[in-house]
Amino acid sequence: MSGVRQVVGMTGDEAVAHAVKLVNPDVVAAYPITPQTIIVERYSDFVNNGEVDTSFISVESEHSAMSACVGASLTGARVFTATASAGLALMYEILYVASGMRCPIVLAVANRAFSAPINIHGECTDQLVCRDASWVSLFGESAQEAYDETILSFKIAEHPDVMLPAMFGIEGFIVTHALERVETLSKQQVEDFIPASRIVRDRFCPDENKTFGSLVLQDYYMEIKRQQEEAMQNAFKVTKDAMQEFSELSGRKMEIIEKYQLEDADYAFVSYGATAGNAKAVVNRLRAKGEKVGALKIRLFRPFPSLDIFQALSGIKAATILDRSATFGSPGSIVQTDIASALYGKEDVPSLHGYINGLGGRVLTLPEIEEVYEMSKEYNNIGMTSTTDWVGYRK
Amino acid sequence: MTKEAPDEFSRWTKEKWGSSQLPMGGTVPYHTAYAYKTGDWSAFKAIIDKEKCISCMNCYYYCPDSAIIMDDNLKAECDMAFCKGCGICSKHCPADAIEMRRVTR
Ligand code: SF4
Ligand code: SF4
Repeated sequence: MSGVRQVVGMTGDEAVAHAVKLVNPDVVAAYPITPQTIIVERYSDFVNNGEVDTSFISVESEHSAMSACVGASLTGARVFTATASAGLALMYEILYVASGMRCPIVLAVANRAFSAPINIHGECTDQLVCRDASWVSLFGESAQEAYDETILSFKIAEHPDVMLPAMFGIEGFIVTHALERVETLSKQQVEDFIPASRIVRDRFCPDENKTFGSLVLQDYYMEIKRQQEEAMQNAFKVTKDAMQEFSELSGRKMEIIEKYQLEDADYAFVSYGATAGNAKAVVNRLRAKGEKVGALKIRLFRPFPSLDIFQALSGIKAATILDRSATFGSPGSIVQTDIASALYGKEDVPSLHGYINGLGGRVLTLPEIEEVYEMSKEYNNIGMTSTTDWVGYRK
Repeated sequence: MTKEAPDEFSRWTKEKWGSSQLPMGGTVPYHTAYAYKTGDWSAFKAIIDKEKCISCMNCYYYCPDSAIIMDDNLKAECDMAFCKGCGICSKHCPADAIEMRRVTR
């Protein structure tokens, strides 16, 4: 680690804006939406004050924001944007264009519940439903992780073996607006970590005769899509390596999944985002009562770390999956079904108990988390290998 | 601007390249629309009678594929490599100089 470690009080949104400032991307095209607004507001201050060289494009919608990002990225520019909820849904069409045209755009998502009923608070459904869009997808637990993942995302997305866009999420208000302790990096550290400019294979410019976004029909479409899957597979190693390098640079351990007191555990919590903090707090409370329990936090959601999760949960009796996302008529909660697929047919794996909770910013308190833990144990005792419940609502 | 495809592109299509060989993201290492011979699937072609042409250039402006070229004498000509046979030029020709003829393959 080089440079002086500085500690600053910042909200999650501010942390993202300050991290982007260090990266100093060529273009930021964004449209404001609560609870993402502060990211863009702060960043436009930096642009206005001449603290960065970024071209800031004010657009009329998120569909336009992502379209402008694609256009800019194709010229070889380093591009950042941010959104939430309905904004991400409006971008959805262009998310596929961005990944399909291999634009390494970085997108910060201030995870927020979908309408209706309209609600502006934290929930991760918005980002989880983009799982098939061929974007690298990360979740952060705190303002610190928001700061770190901002910088990390550029490194992963722009890697020549990946060349896919990357999004990372922090929960609305719970992380975006909470003032926390953030250890910052120096400009020099970020410059050492991320190359000064992007490596560009195909540049959209008048001097290079190339056609971008051509019509590709039955005879070639599948081959082009297959390239994206291979890039996603490459993103595993690239992310692991990038996190390793980042850990050395920052002195903060960063892994695609974080294991907390899992070594000797019989039971485990699995979560992502801000919930992971509560899960760890509950582990401490339960450990004090003599329970052999640990927690697993998923930071990398796409590509899904199936093998790492299998290894981490192997030998565990029952896993309590805290999923702050809504899905209807599904065989399980969103992350639960992925974990179930990852573990299916393997020996020595836990029973999986998914809990849809915390929708629209609802808080699942620590005692309530202890209750669902007991539920999981009971399900396991009576031999139920897979259950899904809604918890923390009035019946 | 070249009208011919570079070697790489000819090989790509002839040899039916797969995902590991094709350029990333379907980006075509090739020239602008000028180089794509897109008129090969038309059912009709615009056949222009230069004798009748009064050089009004209606067809030139109306053709959605810019397939009409005005020759040195300002008479309309149709570039068959691009004509998709839509018949718009024929409809707009005030001199009845453009006949749509069915392509037999
Ligand atoms: S038939 Fe259509 S495509 Fe062909 S020259 Fe006339 S207007 Fe153009
Ligand atoms: S529209 Fe008819 S008359 Fe006019 S330029 Fe074309 S062919 Fe000639």
